[in-house]
Amino acid sequence: MTDGKYIALSEKNIAALEKNGCRAENWVEVRVAAGFRPDSFFNVAFTGKVEIGRQDGELVLADGSRRKYGIYNASLENVRIGDHCVISNITAGLRNVNIEPGVIIENVGEIICSGASTFGNGHAVEALNEGGGRELKICRDTSAQVAYLSILYRDKKQLIDKLNAIVDDFSVQVKNDRATIGRNSCIRNCLKLHNVHIGVNANLDGVQKLQNGTVDSSAEAPTFIGDAVIAENFIIQKGSMVGGAAILSGCLVGEAAQVGKQVSLENTVLFANCEAFHSELCSVFAGPYTVTHHRSTLLIAGYFSFFNAGSATNQSNHMYKLGPVHQGILERGCKTGSFSYLLWPSRVGAFSAILGKHHANFDTTNLPFSYLNEEDGKSLIIPGMNYFTTGTFRDGLKWPTRDKRKNRDMLDFIHFDILSPYTGQKMQRGQRILLDLYERSEKGQSFVSFKGIHIKRLLLKTCRRYYQLILDKYFGDVLIKRMLASKATVFSDLFASTKNEVVPHDENWIDVCGLLCRQSRMEALITAVSSGELQSFAEIRAALRKIHAAYAEDEWRWFLSNYAHLHGCELAMDSQENVRNLLAQWQKSSLKLLNMVFSDAEKEFEGNVKTGFGIDGNADADFTAVRGVFADNTFKIHLDSEIESVNTKFAQVSRLIDTIKFLSAGNKKD
Amino acid sequence: MATTLERVKKITAELLKIDIAMIREDSRFVEDLGAESIQSIELIAAFDEEFDIEMDEDEALAVKNVSDAARFIDRYVDG
Repeated sequence: MTDGKYIALSEKNIAALEKNGCRAENWVEVRVAAGFRPDSFFNVAFTGKVEIGRQDGELVLADGSRRKYGIYNASLENVRIGDHCVISNITAGLRNVNIEPGVIIENVGEIICSGASTFGNGHAVEALNEGGGRELKICRDTSAQVAYLSILYRDKKQLIDKLNAIVDDFSVQVKNDRATIGRNSCIRNCLKLHNVHIGVNANLDGVQKLQNGTVDSSAEAPTFIGDAVIAENFIIQKGSMVGGAAILSGCLVGEAAQVGKQVSLENTVLFANCEAFHSELCSVFAGPYTVTHHRSTLLIAGYFSFFNAGSATNQSNHMYKLGPVHQGILERGCKTGSFSYLLWPSRVGAFSAILGKHHANFDTTNLPFSYLNEEDGKSLIIPGMNYFTTGTFRDGLKWPTRDKRKNRDMLDFIHFDILSPYTGQKMQRGQRILLDLYERSEKGQSFVSFKGIHIKRLLLKTCRRYYQLILDKYFGDVLIKRMLASKATVFSDLFASTKNEVVPHDENWIDVCGLLCRQSRMEALITAVSSGELQSFAEIRAALRKIHAAYAEDEWRWFLSNYAHLHGCELAMDSQENVRNLLAQWQKSSLKLLNMVFSDAEKEFEGNVKTGFGIDGNADADFTAVRGVFADNTFKIHLDSEIESVNTKFAQVSRLIDTIKFLSAGNKKD
Repeated sequence: MATTLERVKKITAELLKIDIAMIREDSRFVEDLGAESIQSIELIAAFDEEFDIEMDEDEALAVKNVSDAARFIDRYVDG
């Protein structure tokens, strides 16, 4: 190891280097590690101050090919090179760069740092509103939650000032007139890298041009930047992949996100596990698991999370009056169908499916799990229906299994639950809205309207029942989870940990870009940031981690408050019979909902779905050969096991109810 | 007074915007009459209102054809 100690070249070594075609503006400025071997240097031009580590030995690459450590056919100006690097065929040169040990740089045009750079840190991204006013200063450690607060809480000036100050401080710390290429990184076949910081173990291959940015990377979560990528003013976080001629301008690409296949991103931030291919994204705030895979899809001026964009999805943020100043929100879990269109400003409730073209501005935040479709130019909503579709069920299963983040120091906090106090509360509000609309409607009336969207009157009662079914299932889920995890022999002991703090049943819950929490918890964090109590992203992250960890207990307490509110009695003090009824209702609702998902899945195997199969006959046989039969379908089999699981859990909790002691007067056993 | 089957046909024709003469007892809502997922929900809601009943959501969605729907509804109407 060099240990940062460099010595002057001997006359003998200078002569040997010159014999190898090397030249220097001033050999005195070229310093090397002890044990220097001139046979590792050919055709190298040294300018300014150059420091070089030990280059003895050779490297065996993954494909079995070998490289002798050293520097070949390169121009170096003000460069420090760590031990055991391979630097060859640099056509224009390396200037003002610190190269850490173990780096490979081959067939590269130029890697340059011009003047003092913050490497993309502190760049202001005009996210969500193309007209500006919500600029997010990005940096290496920007998380989804910090972005949410910065972009969406603009009325809290102190908060915004403090968050911006943290980024500014960080930018000052990293500001340097030398770019760093992290240990064990590999840069091959790239044209231009200007003012780019590259983290450890990063792999860049075929990049066209990167300017003013950071490629964060780690040994456990290496980052890859691939063919023909052009990026300026960017932060790319750990474990992500950017390739396929992607064009990025003013962007943050989050942890384990994938970007490529000619996608274009402008003033856009994407967080953990997002995937953006083919499409165009402009002023987009993409929370975790936002996915767009298709050409002709434009996402503009919107906030999304757990979102799946159908092909040719489009939105308008411009009414040709005061400019592109409108914005939209699709709450977590929404999907858009092919050729869907939304007119901003609009807000769509969580886990909704949007089909057709909508020319109205609407707000369905309190009608989650909805189908939004369009009929004769009119926007219609069917509340609750999207809960029992195959797609939502499958999404709930797949998201947790598709978390590709490998780094231990994850920036984004994510809750995956589809049913949560956040959606539960919205369904409760939705029920009240639907009841109110029903009571105010006339029997002969075909439609009622609510905040810009229409609902068929005859669906008001039905959809309210759907919400009740889902809530019955959810509340039972929460209780059963607690009962099965507890070893309590007295029912009231289940509540021992919850005596000190009450979560009011009507306290607002929010989805902070993947993190579900009580609004009061986030307000406390905002106060702590605004007052200067939390002064760095590390401190904010620690506070967010606590909020993330508090979710399960807060959910339980929220459920208990709801129970007391709905039943007029504390669950801890309720009778065995009432608890048994609640669990029976849970079983019934859970099975009903699973049966409804089952019916939806079954449609994939009946009716017109065989059209196009058996092109010259034998449609049934061809269909079976390609798609299989429903009985063997893995999703169907999973549903069967879910049904079995409901019945098993019900039997388990029923046995518990039989043995556990109840304190209430209605107790039959005691 | 119209039978349950006749009333089911009438509502189905109105909601799916098809000629009632096209609807047979064994017509399947999805395959033969082209009902989409959304329309299946609307049909259940329309039957609920027409017969002043509240059908089991999952069982109602599993009903495939017109005569089965009439029989299913009769279970509720007859109490």
